[in-house]
Amino acid sequence: MTRALSLISVFVRVSVQNFAAYRFEFFVRMFVSVGHLLAELLAVQTIFKNTPEIRGWQKEHMLVLVGVFRMIAGGIRMVIVPNMRRVMEDIRNGTLDYVLLKPLDAQFHVSIREFVIWRVTDLVLGGSLAIYGSYLTLHTVPFDKFILFILMMVAAFTIVYAIWLALAAICFWLIRLENIEMLFWNVFEAGRFPVQIYPAWLQTGLTYIFPLAFIVTFPAASLLGISGKGITPTMPAIAFLVGLIAIILASMLFRIGLRRYAGASA
Amino acid sequence: MMAAMRALGAHLRAHLAVMMQYRGEVLLWSVWGIVNPAVLYAMWSAAAESSGSHEIASYDRAGLAAYFLVMMIVGHATGAWDVYQMGHFVRTGVLSPMLLHPVLPMWRSLAENIAYKVVTLMFVIPIWIGFAWLVGPAFKATAWEYLLGTIALFLGAALAYLLSYAISLIAFWAPKLDALGEIYFALCMFLGGRFVPIAALPDSIAGLARVMPFRWMYQFPTELLIGGRVGFRDTLIGLGLQIVWLTFSFVLFRTLWFAGLKRYTAVSG
Amino acid sequence: MPQISVQNLAKTFRVPEREGGFIASVRSIFKRRHKEVRAVDGIHFTIDEGEIVGFLGPNGAGKTTTLKILSGLLHPTSGEARVMGHIPWKRESEYLRRISMLMGQRTQLHWDLPAIDSFLVHGSIYGLPKEQYRTTLDELVALLDIGDVLKKQVRSLSLGERMKCEICVSLLHRPSVLFLDEPTIGVDIAMQARIREFIRNYNRQHGATIILTSHYMADVTALCKRIIVIDKGHILFDGPLPELSRKLAPFKVIKIDLDRDLNGYDLAALGDVLVREERKVSLRVPKGEAASVTSKLLTDLAVLDLTIEDPPIEDVISRVFGGESTK
Repeated sequence: MTRALSLISVFVRVSVQNFAAYRFEFFVRMFVSVGHLLAELLAVQTIFKNTPEIRGWQKEHMLVLVGVFRMIAGGIRMVIVPNMRRVMEDIRNGTLDYVLLKPLDAQFHVSIREFVIWRVTDLVLGGSLAIYGSYLTLHTVPFDKFILFILMMVAAFTIVYAIWLALAAICFWLIRLENIEMLFWNVFEAGRFPVQIYPAWLQTGLTYIFPLAFIVTFPAASLLGISGKGITPTMPAIAFLVGLIAIILASMLFRIGLRRYAGASA
Repeated sequence: MMAAMRALGAHLRAHLAVMMQYRGEVLLWSVWGIVNPAVLYAMWSAAAESSGSHEIASYDRAGLAAYFLVMMIVGHATGAWDVYQMGHFVRTGVLSPMLLHPVLPMWRSLAENIAYKVVTLMFVIPIWIGFAWLVGPAFKATAWEYLLGTIALFLGAALAYLLSYAISLIAFWAPKLDALGEIYFALCMFLGGRFVPIAALPDSIAGLARVMPFRWMYQFPTELLIGGRVGFRDTLIGLGLQIVWLTFSFVLFRTLWFAGLKRYTAVSG
Repeated sequence: MPQISVQNLAKTFRVPEREGGFIASVRSIFKRRHKEVRAVDGIHFTIDEGEIVGFLGPNGAGKTTTLKILSGLLHPTSGEARVMGHIPWKRESEYLRRISMLMGQRTQLHWDLPAIDSFLVHGSIYGLPKEQYRTTLDELVALLDIGDVLKKQVRSLSLGERMKCEICVSLLHRPSVLFLDEPTIGVDIAMQARIREFIRNYNRQHGATIILTSHYMADVTALCKRIIVIDKGHILFDGPLPELSRKLAPFKVIKIDLDRDLNGYDLAALGDVLVREERKVSLRVPKGEAASVTSKLLTDLAVLDLTIEDPPIEDVISRVFGGESTK
């Protein structure tokens, strides 16, 4: 465990060092992050100009959701996307060989190689907005809600990681298929708004088949601490269960893919 | 011009073949154009429920269904992505070999654009039909409105392509500005009526949207094809303004292209 | 006990057969036709500690497949292999720590980072103690003369500089067994020579066992005392370099110096004429006919001097593999 952490810290340190050399790009990208957030705030402004609430979500609630969406989107692009893109490239180019030559678990190794440091701005901006929305709603940010929120976010990132790992593993079979990640982005787009806006059958699908509800809606709801948005006292437990199942399935798929890559299954 | 047309034809055939080869990926891309309007429909129809009038900008639920269904089609027709790519082309020098061809790189890009839209039709049409069946849109268009709406759709597509290509040329001066595409996309989203009919936007933004070209690419053809929303006089004015903006875009393209090329060859030469 | 031993090793790949055309590609979605390719087909050899062995053979002969099996990247279909007592494809971390594989055509350095960062990461993946990492790095940097390029983005390095950095990173953990797959590919001749020199020294100083494949005969002739020739998954030859020509070449080269001019003597009837100057001739003849041709030449012509040689190794190899090497 300490070895794993020290390894991660080496990769992060290398990323930070090299990032420092591109300060200009950092400012451009900060600007882009703020721009994204402004566009999302304009969307919220527009929605609540036309209606007082949507399926129980009021304006302050929606601010929390927008903040969470930005955090998740930023976090995915900071760690998960760059690593999974690289492993897909490695599979295609045959450079995955070098990963397999290392005395290190392959799945762990391919998941920690890349960090897009400036995406931290998304985490900070999104997090601030979520806390602000929570404060507007509750006039305080209760400690227990905050802890619950952190737990839900951990579960959310676990699920997202599992989905991406599975997508990357699919490349072991469909080597020529590029842009497989569009599968994710297409569905993720639906997470900009709470799952409650969708018809019941789609809500179920987005909760248990592609667990988008656990990725955006439920963490946001947990910070608001109001019932009626799908949040129940058992929700964190279910979220962790979903995360656990997702990660086990994805790891299995990745392992089978690796065996196929090494010709062990043929 | 004849040479350009012949080149367009040749590129078109080549790109059609490429698209067929990569149909799996093309499918994944084209679905994106479906998801966004579908999500917006779900959100706005849910919002309409709890708004006092059960309407958003005078669209009821079935009206919103029609609006976002047609917006999917319009979005497909107007898709253009040079504004995302040009910075990369300029930075990496990919543009240089393209400049060696005797025709403008734009023709090649246009061929790719059309090939993509034609090939993906076979994926998206069934999805459009499925979406229509699911949401039950209300159409009131007369034959005239369909005809004029179709013309407006093509003019809008041409305008969207040409204007975005012209804007993409800013990359000659700011090749590192990767955000250019995203900014342009956001403008189309809000000021074009892709997010919601312009009347529903906050007043200041709506005012801005009325004087910008984006509504003529998206909202105008969409409302014509739904029917019963644009009067005959406004339709003619709209078609006229589409042509005015198209001319403007063409002039803008010519100006930026030749100025940019001078700069590009001076810098990279 | 040899350091590497391979017995009856075989690897068969199932490759989907792709047909052109739209209909065929639709059909292949439902029913794929496969064909079996025997990349390695029952090979044996053993290698002792400290040896440098060259693998020769045309593209697709099975050289890389063999290296990949030995480095644990591929599972063989059948057969056995032991390297330092380990079964490579079990991929025990203890084993992986003691070997290294370099693929000249594929980079393991991060394209956007300076090489030194890739080295640092490599060091921590192998859990190298700081002290050991420093000394090894300093030594390799000095030997490879890459001090100036360490902090440059790998993307901006020349091919030769990059290859030296690739070699450096593969040796940071001081492997005992080294698999080098085309380590000099694409770099210029002077750089090839320097890389060769480095490999030889490394082998001498650290006693590392090295298996090398290369397209450049010079790499092999300069470095390897022993050669294993592989073709179509089989071992054609395994032995010292000089013997290779003797065993594999179906030809001999007869060189003669003459006292007088030839005066239209029909040499071509005896064999392929390689050189024909006024009083100097060399002929290539099938091995079995060498003796008879020699005696005929001696009786017919006024021969001052005559030697029978094996053809140069480059010729042997390119003749043995003939058309295949161009595939």
